[in-house]
Formats: sequence, C-alpha cells, structure tokens
Amino acid sequence: MTQTANMTALLQSALPNAARPAVVIVGILYFAGIVAISVWAARKTRTAADFFVAGKGIGLVALTIASVSVSVSGFAFIGGPGFIYAVGLGAMYIVLPAAVTNVMGAWVLAKRMRLLGEVRALITIPDAIGARYRSRLAQGVSAAAMLVGIVGYMATNALAMGVVINSIFGVGLGWGIWIGMGVTLAYSASGGILAGIYNDVFQGTLMAIASVLVFLFVLDFGGGLGAISRTILAHDSVLLGPWGKITPLAALSFFFVFSMGSLGQPQAVHKYYMLRDPLQLKWYPLLKTLGLVLVLLLYFGVGVGVKAFVLSGRLPQLTSPDQATPTLLLNVTPLILAALVFSGVAAATMSAANSFINIGAAIVTHDLPIAFGRPVRNELGWGRAVTILIAVAAAITAQQSGTMVAFLGIFGWGLFASTLVPALAVGLNWQGATRAGAIASIATGLIVTLALETAAYLKVFTFPAGVTASAVAMVSSFLVFFIVSWLTRRNAMMELDADVRLVMEI
Amino acid sequence: MIPPETADRARGRDVTRRAALIALFVAITAIAAGYAAAFSKSGTPSWAPWLLVVGIPVALGAIMILGAARGHEGIGPLKVPFAFVVIVLIIGFSAALALPATEGPLSKLWLGLPARAAIVIYGVGLLPIIVLPVAYALTFEAQTLSAEDVERIRTLARRRLADYDNRSQASLDKVRG
Repeated sequence: MTQTANMTALLQSALPNAARPAVVIVGILYFAGIVAISVWAARKTRTAADFFVAGKGIGLVALTIASVSVSVSGFAFIGGPGFIYAVGLGAMYIVLPAAVTNVMGAWVLAKRMRLLGEVRALITIPDAIGARYRSRLAQGVSAAAMLVGIVGYMATNALAMGVVINSIFGVGLGWGIWIGMGVTLAYSASGGILAGIYNDVFQGTLMAIASVLVFLFVLDFGGGLGAISRTILAHDSVLLGPWGKITPLAALSFFFVFSMGSLGQPQAVHKYYMLRDPLQLKWYPLLKTLGLVLVLLLYFGVGVGVKAFVLSGRLPQLTSPDQATPTLLLNVTPLILAALVFSGVAAATMSAANSFINIGAAIVTHDLPIAFGRPVRNELGWGRAVTILIAVAAAITAQQSGTMVAFLGIFGWGLFASTLVPALAVGLNWQGATRAGAIASIATGLIVTLALETAAYLKVFTFPAGVTASAVAMVSSFLVFFIVSWLTRRNAMMELDADVRLVMEI
Repeated sequence: MIPPETADRARGRDVTRRAALIALFVAITAIAAGYAAAFSKSGTPSWAPWLLVVGIPVALGAIMILGAARGHEGIGPLKVPFAFVVIVLIIGFSAALALPATEGPLSKLWLGLPARAAIVIYGVGLLPIIVLPVAYALTFEAQTLSAEDVERIRTLARRRLADYDNRSQASLDKVRG
C-alpha cells in the first residue's frame, strides 16, 4: 500500500540532517544486520526458483512480516503523517483499506496462486496469467506492463533511499543513492528473494517496533488521543471531520484505488508463491493485518499528534507538511527513537526496492523470453546479471530531475492495479473470462494510465477534484475486461486447461 | 448424464458466482458513473459520491464472494461476515456523508475522536479487521483449502511431471534414432 504517493512525498522536500552519533550508530548497526543476513542467504541460493521465489520454502511468520514490510513504503513514515497534518482525516482513506485488503487478497488470489505454483511450478505473476489464459501473449503483455511500473518505482525508491541515507549519514544525495542502491543490489544479486525475504523480516520488525514506540510516545506526550483531538478541534475542527479537508469523492477514491488496487500489487501478490505449506494460509490474513496495523500506527499518531503540538505551540511551525515526522523526532522524542525511525524509513525504501528488483529481473529473464518463445537456459545467472542492470539504471535515473522521477513513481500503483486486477484477480475466479478480455484489459490499463498521467504531468488538463488517473484507468480496465470477455465468451472454456480449472474450482 | 443433485449444486454454484459477477460489474459501472459525473461543467453533483459510497463496498464484497465461492458449495457460512462488512462500510461512508458537521471544541468524543470521525476510523477501519480474518481462519478447511485439496493438486502435479518426463524421454529416443 501507499507506494503511489509514496516517494513523491520524500522527493518534495529533503529530510533534515539527522546525523547525530546515536542515529549514525543505529544506522551502521542496521546496515551490518543486512549484510549478515545477505551473506547467509547467498549461501543458500542455488537455483532460479531459490532466487525468484525462495524455493517456495518460506514459513508463515517470516512471510507475513516480509509481506507487511514490502506493503509499506517510506510514505507511511514521512509523507503519510505529513498528509494527515495537511488535510486531516481525509488522508486516512489511503490506509483504512488495510482492514479488508489482506483477507480479500487471501480469498481472491492467495490460494489459487499458491496452488497454480504447486501444479505448474510457476514463479512469476505473468506466469499465472499465461497459464490461466493459455497465452504467451497475455503473459508477455502483462510482463511488459509490470516492467513499465517497476521502472518508475525503482527510480523513486532509489531517490528516496538517497534522501534518507543522506539524512542519517550526511553523505550527500548522490552518494546516498549509490550507497543505498549498492547495499540493496548486493543482497538482491547475491541472495535473491531469499535475502530479500529475511531482510524484509528484519526491516519489518524494525518498522513495527519504531511505529509502536512513536505512537505510544505521541499519546503520552499529548495527554491521550482525547486531549490531542480537543486541541485540534479548538483550532481547526474540519481536520477531524470524516473527510478532513479533501472532498468526499477524493477520499472515497483513495479508498477504492488502495483497496481494489491492492489485488494487483506484484510485491505483495508475488509472495503467495513462496509459502512453504499452502495450509498455513489459514492465519496469513489475520497476522498480516495485525502487523500492518502496528506499522501504520505512526502514520495516524504522528499526523494528528504533530498537528496538535504545532497548534498548541509545543512544536515550531513546519516549513512543509513532510517535516511532521522529522520535526517530532528531532525535537521531542528520545534520540534513540529517532534513530530507530530513520533506520525504519531506510528499511522501508530498501525492502520495496529489493522486491521490485527481483520481480523486474524475473520479468526480463523469464516472462519476456517465454512470451517470445525463447526461454533462457541459465535463469539464475541471467537473473543476477539483470538485477545489477536494473539497480544501476534506477540509480542513474534517480540522479535526474526530481520532478521527472516523481512523475515516474506516481503512476506505479495505479498502473499495477489497472493492468493486473481484472485479468488476474477476477480472471482466476471466473471461468468465463477470456484471453481476449484479459489482453484488452491489460492494454487498456496501460494506455489509459500512461496517457492520463502524461497529460496531467504536461498540464494538458487537470482532473476534477477527487478523480485520479489511477481510478479512471482501473474502472476502464474492469469494464473492458467484462465487455470483451462477454463478447468472446464462446472461447472461454477452450482456453482453460484441466489443471487450471481444478485450481479454480477448489 | 449429470445426476440431478449434482446439477442442482452446479446451478447453485453458478448462481453465487453469477450474482457476484453481476454485482461487481454493476458496482464498477456505478463508480465509473460517479467519476464521469465529476467532469460536469457545473462541478461534481451531490449524488456522485453516493455512487461510490454504495459502489465501493459492493465491489469489494462481490470480488471477495467470487474468490471465496468454492466448487458446488457457493460461499456457505461466509454470507454472514461478507454481508456484515459490506453493510458496515456502506453505513460508515453514508454516516460520514449524511450526518451534519458538528465537530467543535465541545464535541462529545468517542474513544478520543468526534462522532463522525470515530464512525469512519473505528467502524470502517477496525470492525472489518475483527470479523473478516477470523471468519477466514474459522472456515478455512471447509471453505478455502483442506489437506485433501492440497493432495489432489500434488497428485496432479506429479502426473504432469511424469507426462513431461515421458515426453522428454520419447523426444530424446527419437533424436537418438
């Protein structure tokens, strides 16, 4: 979640210099932990399946924490609280869908993806689309669409890493980007997704601890949620209205895009392949939802808390909303807590980057060659090589104009949602869906997202309040999927293999 | 010939899935209409958000039903939690939209928040957490996945692998003459 607005918030303003001894020491310990995990994982990675899906051998708790870690980006720690600070509770509609998204993903995708992985030895999301529609073209089109989204995400994550590392160590933005991407690359290329998963576990745990501690600190410092609310209500009661300062349509749009769109986010969906025992899915949604709630406590707590503290004069006025978290951490919390949160933000950006590097490498070395009828023989070797290429390309792109990089990152969430949700989430549960419907829907999502985002970026037109390119692209893609599948419904059963049908029946 | 009981069951399954698909299509169309209305020259009409207030919960409920529908049994006892969550979301969003704005320094607080905010944060944001994942876990073996299901899939996978090995061996033999 929250990857869309994600790093844009981090790009809008640099973080303040947090390079205090405690922050630097915790930062160094954090990076040392990552190196240790990566060395261990590299020794266990021997095949392409190990590299891309951890040999389908991850336990429930590890997979849950890792999934929480990749579902939350640095936005939950910096941009999100700033958004609440600026617009009030309307910003909560980005994270409220967490109440339903995990269990919805479990019902709609987890079982079928995991069983498809079992029966066909699949390792990627386009693999599942290719198997479902018995179509290399569908696999190739979905892979290409995902690659476009990943390019944007990787650049924004690389830049976000640079911003955070510069804030912790004071090394400059350019070096921050190369250091962050270098460390991420080292563990991605050597240990693949196995290193990624166990680093995600480490990073997710760190994020949850930091979030809970900061939330409790804010409640204590503010005299409880009631006192915080009273302060805000006395100065600007609209902030605590149900929509805050945004329109109902805008708030509901957030809820729609971040709930339904969650079914198309590859960094989370890809994880379903990795669970060691499919029967462990039983507790996955409950554990993941609880984990996500813990990590998101900071989002809400810091957002409303800092607003109240600024209004009551306990904190100075902020130069921009994104300074909400840093201002709280560097002015009133114990320094060790600030250190944990800054490392937590670095962790969030690195776990997202690792996940996308891995998925991107799988697309280039596995899905696209299959789509062109030329499978690669040494997928592990090529996977490592492409991992390096993607990371270096992302780091170079991140050095370009911040506006351009922000633009690349904005459409990521919406692009994944509009291209993958109908074809994958509905398609795996509706035997009447057709290959033509899936391909048309993926193409619609890709074209509408790119066209509308580009037009908005170039200021050719502005959307009415509450309407976003992501939402329009997703509903367009859904409607095209239904209509084309209905028009070509005679082909539906012929395009379904017996084993895939069994997976869809169970 | 399909035995009558099986045919009835199949129809029952189709009814569940078909109803979910129709609900999903109608809900997405309603959401699309809400967005389209926002492009009106006179601004977003007051009824447009209502299309999303109803459309979003129905779409989420429909896609969950589609995912949870199993073989011949439809969604079984999951009707109750699904209906509960769809209703909670509709009521929560409706209350936020329809109740008058009375937030002020003297507002009564519910668990630290004014009434309309509390309905959204605790109702929409927390109630589904209590109900849905627990319902998923409690119905998992019967409704989602049992050990027998996994074994069926693994048997199928072994058969596919054996077929693949046989085909590969045959191709190799052919090449070797």
